[in-house]
Amino acid sequence: MNTDELIERLAKELQPVRPLPRPGIRATVWLLGAAAYVGALAVAMTAGRLPAGIGDVRMWLPLVAAFLATLLAARGAFASVVPGHAANAVGTLVLAALVWLGALVATSEWQLPAAAIASARHEWVCVAVIVGGGVPLMVLLAAMLRRGAPLKPGRTAALAAMTVGTLANVGACWSLPHASNEITLVWHGGTVLALVLVAAVAGRLVFTWRTAVRRNVPPPS
Amino acid sequence: MSDFTPRDPLGQLLRAAQQGDAAAYTELLRLVTPRIRQIVRRQRGFAGRAETEDLVQDVLLSLHAVRATYDPARPFVPWLLAIVRNRLADGARRYGRAARREVRVDENDVTFPEPEANLDVEALADAAALRDAVRALPEGQRQAIELLKLEELSLKEAAAMTGTSTGALKVATHRALATLRRTLRVKQS
Repeated sequence: MNTDELIERLAKELQPVRPLPRPGIRATVWLLGAAAYVGALAVAMTAGRLPAGIGDVRMWLPLVAAFLATLLAARGAFASVVPGHAANAVGTLVLAALVWLGALVATSEWQLPAAAIASARHEWVCVAVIVGGGVPLMVLLAAMLRRGAPLKPGRTAALAAMTVGTLANVGACWSLPHASNEITLVWHGGTVLALVLVAAVAGRLVFTWRTAVRRNVPPPS
Repeated sequence: MSDFTPRDPLGQLLRAAQQGDAAAYTELLRLVTPRIRQIVRRQRGFAGRAETEDLVQDVLLSLHAVRATYDPARPFVPWLLAIVRNRLADGARRYGRAARREVRVDENDVTFPEPEANLDVEALADAAALRDAVRALPEGQRQAIELLKLEELSLKEAAAMTGTSTGALKVATHRALATLRRTLRVKQS
């Protein structure tokens, strides 16, 4: 098929499409649904009680920072699938991580020995909550991101993992409060970092031009 | 004021295309295709005409697939260029991977490393001399050469046809080739 024939075919099979809302709006829509899900899970796990020490800055500041990181990463993820958008994906990812991990570092007391932090086996429950609880959020987010352009699949997926990981971390910390932020920093931070790295590598399998074209361009009749 | 003004006629066309206007879409694609082709040629100067058109079509298909991502309030050209650059980078990666997998065979001047396997082609240029040399072979060797090398039968088929064993046919072929090589070398010298 030559290029003129392709143009004719594409025009002939043209279907109206609704322009995607701006990245900030799409991120907000996803966040509303995700927050409702995480909130419902947290309420179910705590029987509706507020976590102990919620008034303490060492408790609420990392939660607020994690939520802020979620907002930043979500907006960055949706912006990364819009051609011509000037958002810096890597910069956004680093900023989100700094906001969250910085708050954890700032509110840590650094009294626990490293061995005690590393051997906090009860933290595997938090890891399971972050990873397992994050799966539905990730599926929904990936489905929304796949409506965009797979310009930088690894970066888009890394931002998506940061978005989901930090929000699931909020749910985990709300449901299973920690006595020490050092443990949260190492275990939750490590889990989210691992998710981000895996996503950065696997992103190219999920966000591909081939899939985008196949979904939106009908095969020749 | 937004960027979607009469100063951005391509953006207007794509906006109309998003609403299903096929004529506007055709016009848009016809307007942008030469520009895309120009960018492809500039960045992939070594590409042939077919490869250039493949890349142009790749970009057009990608543009079509993600046309919903165009925000009419934003300028059209940066949106298009982001897609073009991305698809060209993908194309370059594909080209690099293919080049690493390929083995250039046109520089190989031998078929097998052993010198005996590489007959002097000029010595065989005289078809009549070769025909005469084959005719001069002993009956068994001539038959083996004709069946296995000229008619390209398998060893089993040739053995069934001649009533000899495959081993005997191999020996006869080997001796025939040696005789032919010797005969032709003598004739050439």
